[in-house]
Amino acid sequence: MSLRTPTELELQRTVLIADDESSIRLLVHATIESDDYTVVEASDGAQAWALAKELKPSLVLLDVQMPGQSGLEVLRSIKADPGLKATRVILLTSKAQERDIEVGLIAGADFYLTKPFSPLDLLTRVEEALEL
Amino acid sequence: MHYTAMIIVVLIAVASVAGLVVRAMSEQDARQSATADAAFASRVAASQIAAHLLLLQQTVGMVAANPQSAGLLSSPAGACTLPFAGAGPFSIGHLDIIKSDGTVRCSSKAFSPGPVYGAASWLPTAITRSVTVAPFLDPATGRMSAVVATPMAGGGGTVAAIMDLAQVGSNLGSALAGARQLEFLVTTDNGKTVLTRSLNASYWAGRSLAGTAFEASSPSMERSDVDGTMRLYATSPVGSTPWLVYAGADAAAALAAADLSSNRDLAIIVGGAAIMLVVIFVVYRRVVEPIRQLSLVIRSSTLSGAVGTVDAMGASEVTGLAEDFSKLMATVKHELVERLNSEQEAVVSERNYRTLFEGHPQPMWLYDTETLAFLEVNDSASDRYGYTREEFMTMTIRDLQRPQDVPKFLELQAMPMPALDRTGPWRHLLRDGSEIQVLTTSHAVIFGDHRARFVLAEDLTDSRRLELELVESHARAEHDAELGRAKDEMVAVVSHELRTPLASIVGFAELLATREVTPAQRKEYLAVMLQEGRRLTALVNDFLDLRRFEGARPSMRFTPADIKALITRAVDLFSEPGGVAITMSLPDELPLVRVDGDAMFRVIANLLSNAHKYSPLGGAIRVSARVVDGMVEVSVQDKGLGIPAEALPQLFGKFFRVESPDRGSIGGTGLGLAICKNIVETHGGKIGVRSDGPGKGSTFYFTLPVVREEAQSGDVLIVEDDSGFAHLVEAELQTRGLSSIWAADAETAGHLLTGARAVVLDLLLPGLSGEAFLHHLRATRGAGIPVVVVTLKDLGAAENLSLQKAGVTAVLRKGAGTAAAAATLITQCLASELVAI
Repeated sequence: MSLRTPTELELQRTVLIADDESSIRLLVHATIESDDYTVVEASDGAQAWALAKELKPSLVLLDVQMPGQSGLEVLRSIKADPGLKATRVILLTSKAQERDIEVGLIAGADFYLTKPFSPLDLLTRVEEALEL
Repeated sequence: MHYTAMIIVVLIAVASVAGLVVRAMSEQDARQSATADAAFASRVAASQIAAHLLLLQQTVGMVAANPQSAGLLSSPAGACTLPFAGAGPFSIGHLDIIKSDGTVRCSSKAFSPGPVYGAASWLPTAITRSVTVAPFLDPATGRMSAVVATPMAGGGGTVAAIMDLAQVGSNLGSALAGARQLEFLVTTDNGKTVLTRSLNASYWAGRSLAGTAFEASSPSMERSDVDGTMRLYATSPVGSTPWLVYAGADAAAALAAADLSSNRDLAIIVGGAAIMLVVIFVVYRRVVEPIRQLSLVIRSSTLSGAVGTVDAMGASEVTGLAEDFSKLMATVKHELVERLNSEQEAVVSERNYRTLFEGHPQPMWLYDTETLAFLEVNDSASDRYGYTREEFMTMTIRDLQRPQDVPKFLELQAMPMPALDRTGPWRHLLRDGSEIQVLTTSHAVIFGDHRARFVLAEDLTDSRRLELELVESHARAEHDAELGRAKDEMVAVVSHELRTPLASIVGFAELLATREVTPAQRKEYLAVMLQEGRRLTALVNDFLDLRRFEGARPSMRFTPADIKALITRAVDLFSEPGGVAITMSLPDELPLVRVDGDAMFRVIANLLSNAHKYSPLGGAIRVSARVVDGMVEVSVQDKGLGIPAEALPQLFGKFFRVESPDRGSIGGTGLGLAICKNIVETHGGKIGVRSDGPGKGSTFYFTLPVVREEAQSGDVLIVEDDSGFAHLVEAELQTRGLSSIWAADAETAGHLLTGARAVVLDLLLPGLSGEAFLHHLRATRGAGIPVVVVTLKDLGAAENLSLQKAGVTAVLRKGAGTAAAAATLITQCLASELVAI
């Protein structure tokens, strides 16, 4: 828990985790937990989009298969929103959904990780994305 | 035609005969008539002559008697004249007063002086009384005359009237000859001398008949006249004179008249005949012929030929009749042709249908729905079933049923059948005792006066089955392709579902392995790993179950079951102390259902588990069962979270889970209800859900078919929860000719005791124990039923004793060969009806 007031820059450094599975959210959160940015969680697509618009996160870790609004729909919304140009997106997918990966990359995702993924690998990708 | 000719011939003959007869009769009539005319004429002539002679005599007598006459005798000749006008036919002549010397003293005419009549026989010297003398050649006139003379008183003279005879004949002819031109011939001297004749009178007066044709011909009625002409004569005497008056009609003329008359008659007859002929012809042409034609037409009017017409040449009545008849015939023929056509059509149509029926490659028959007797069968039915048509006619459709199917069959027959009904497959008995499987399509018909059904039997045992199999294999191939696609989808879904827990487990394990974590973190991570590991296990199990119930249906073993026992056991499993209260609302009597006990238990348990899971705040769960439309319906009602309406249709799909914040922490694989749906549908039932929406609770229900009465009995009742072992025993009993019925628990077995002659009993049963069932059996059925116990249990001495007391035939420990041993024991017991341990 940080006691100092977040700077403007720091305010932008928010990472949004969007996954319907609480265990995955917990794993991702535990993996990328850092003082350098704030981690926010969303449990479905609609929530993820609402938070993304509000917080303008630097990075979104987006599960492709979510009930309601899917990860790909959220991705398209982000990429279509001029205010979110700086937001990077990493897709979390099951390996079988290769077509989803392809579609996601075309739609503007920066990277993807296949479940089950290595937490260390995930952390590396997050840091790369945030240019830390 | 021929009798028209005959009529004409007869008429001609009759006319000829009539002509001859008429001619003969007419000749005779002519003779008689001519003769009669002649007779009358002769009499008239004779009487005129006689009368006028008398008149002449009186005239002469008066003159003679007159005294003046005597004085005249002495007067000079020619000093006086006498008035004299003749009398009747005697029209020409003269009256004279003649002196006895023959000189005329006084006359009615100028006379020559001298004794003219000196030599006359009638002079007064010769006569003393009045005389009539003829013929006398009058010297004064030179003509043959008749003299009527009377002597004068004193004898000095004679008064004489001297009349011209030729004139008399002429007068008679002109006065009396009449139309017949009668000839008058007045003769004297016995007919030898002619006095006068009406024809050629001057010649014949006073002439002798000697040598004439008249004289030569026989003095019969018809004789020749003096000229040679044949005449019909009649004769009359003239007064007191010897004179004869002959009146003769010309025979030829008379006969000619007769001919004329007879010809006229003939002409009348022939004319009449001709008129008759014409009439006959006309009648024939206009009446007889048309009627004959009509009759011919009537006679020759056949139903097959054209209707004859009658020539319209007869009388209007006949023509009308003919027309009427023609119309009638046409109408009749039209009607008949119509009827024949329709009958023919009916015959053709019937023949066509019969051909369709007879020649149809599939067995067909008609049967009476009341007596069930066959009314008609086709050739294919005879071929397939082996009975001749005649044999079929003595049979009923019941005879095709296997004995064990008869009750069910009769029950079905007793129920109202739809107009068109397709049922099956049925097993039908052939004549040789073998069986075939058929699908029957039947519909209600009226056959003659029978209420009948027309049945088409599709033989599934041969080509039709191949065909069906082909269709099925196509369907299977499509189904397989469908399954393949579904499988790919499944793989994707399953892979996702499996990767999520795997990702957590592997991820946290890596964090733990690579990072320094606090004890609290470690504990948290490990808890997640454990939870996700369990989730992974449940998923794998459910998935395997789904595969099992979906793809491997034969692994299910259906048997009659008491659903109440299943429900009760499932409820017992969930009724943990302090947990949710589950209430049961089960009727005392429920029909047995046909289920795989394990699978059905899983369904009930799954529904109870869901009810429990999705009632996080508690709330009563109620399980109930009832009979609806011949099915048993089981429902599980909770007062939990309820289900949003939009989720209802997908609820039984695979991996579907209702998403809502209040169920976030409730775990599940999304496969449970899909599995339940599979199981229930495999049982022939339906599963469904009712919910009034979120927060209003939900009710899951499913239906199961009821076991038919006849499927509830067998020689041997097998009470065994292990379906594999039960099946083994069944097979062993079957090879020994015994049927069996299997109950998976003792509760169900209690319902299946009727009809069982022996029992194979497992002791370790879910719910009620084998021992408890044994007691129930002995209590209800007595000691008469042999019971073989098969168990895995190691029985103690006390237990064995207890079983012996209960009259158990044998106790066998489950192992290889146990099923066969049990079957053998049962067979022996039943064979000897021996009950012993």
